[in-house]
Amino acid sequence: MLTRFNQDKKIIFLDPHTELVVSDEKLHIILSPSLYWVKKVILPLKHAREAKKLLESLFEDVLPEGNYSYSVYKASEEGEFFIFAYEDKSILDLLTKQGISSSNIGSVHFAQSELYNLQGAMKINETQSIYVKDGIVTLVPCCWIQESGMLSIEDTQLSKHKIILTQFGHIVDSSSLIKISAILGLFILLIWVELFILKQDIQKIQAQSSELFIKYKLKPTIFQNKALLKKYTKIHTNQTKLRMNFSKELKKKNIQKISYKNNKLKVIL
Amino acid sequence: MNRINPLYVGLFLLVVLTLSVFELNSAKDELHEAQASYEKAEKLAVELSELKKVYANHKNMQMKLKRILTQNRLKNAGVIALYKKSRAKISAESLEKSTLDFLMSKILNAPFNIDSFEIRKLSKNKVSFKMEIKW
Repeated sequence: MLTRFNQDKKIIFLDPHTELVVSDEKLHIILSPSLYWVKKVILPLKHAREAKKLLESLFEDVLPEGNYSYSVYKASEEGEFFIFAYEDKSILDLLTKQGISSSNIGSVHFAQSELYNLQGAMKINETQSIYVKDGIVTLVPCCWIQESGMLSIEDTQLSKHKIILTQFGHIVDSSSLIKISAILGLFILLIWVELFILKQDIQKIQAQSSELFIKYKLKPTIFQNKALLKKYTKIHTNQTKLRMNFSKELKKKNIQKISYKNNKLKVIL
Repeated sequence: MNRINPLYVGLFLLVVLTLSVFELNSAKDELHEAQASYEKAEKLAVELSELKKVYANHKNMQMKLKRILTQNRLKNAGVIALYKKSRAKISAESLEKSTLDFLMSKILNAPFNIDSFEIRKLSKNKVSFKMEIKW
């Protein structure tokens, strides 16, 4: 049995050479040693988080070309750490191939952290077995070792050591994404600050417009005020014209009658 | 896989940024419109206020006209003034030319809204005069 129910989720052992039969349900995944690189190292550090920065350099010149993510957990109080390198994309591709969607993945664990106390060798498929050598969970061909049966994960109590697969880690690494997101967030913040200031300015101008009506005792609508302006402008134009024309006509001699009506000046000589 | 993918967060922020830029641009347009509208309203208010001061101050107009007509040269010249709510009618059956000159110069130099008038020559030195001023 390569699967087991754990609480509400099923546990599966994921290996490139093992076919799985799964339905649309949430799963806990134990990765086969063929899906990651593992090293047991002794580091003068107290906590695993301190080792995280060193992981890439610890695997330098060991790994083939690829986009790797790294993980670490403490193996013992004597400064022993298990360090891991894995390719998110190849694991996710395999999950897709096995018909498991990323939304159905509950947690992902290394065989190293879950099967380290395996007794003897166990078959995982027709050609491969899994066994623990010098504390490292390893895969070997079946004929190399005497197996005691098929691997059963029914009684496996999953540890707290798990990893999170990043779907696009091979395109952009998470730290770059976080930096880009931070920059975007900063831009958004700046825009919102500017937006806030703009809205304040708009409100100020609208308030000033209202004050104009009170200050100049205007009519309630612009339409009414425009009509009034038109009326008074017309009066002003006509009166200016009248005064100009009148002074011009007065230069004439022998005027008998001079009259003004309907904005027209008439002179009779 | 329970953690939110940073790429989704990035894409979400990109969408929010795009929407924010659109919102910012529309707010800028709104501000320009508000500024233009305010400047237009201010120009209208100033112009209207100035014109109203001149042509819509009825009491002031009436006082000005009364002051002109009560001046010594016009007091006993036979000028009759009839004041109504929205207008005044001034007339004189027979007026000295020099008195008419004085009266006309006073009226034309003040911002009265002259609706109509008629000056008719009666003799060498006499004229008849009629005028209607609106307010």
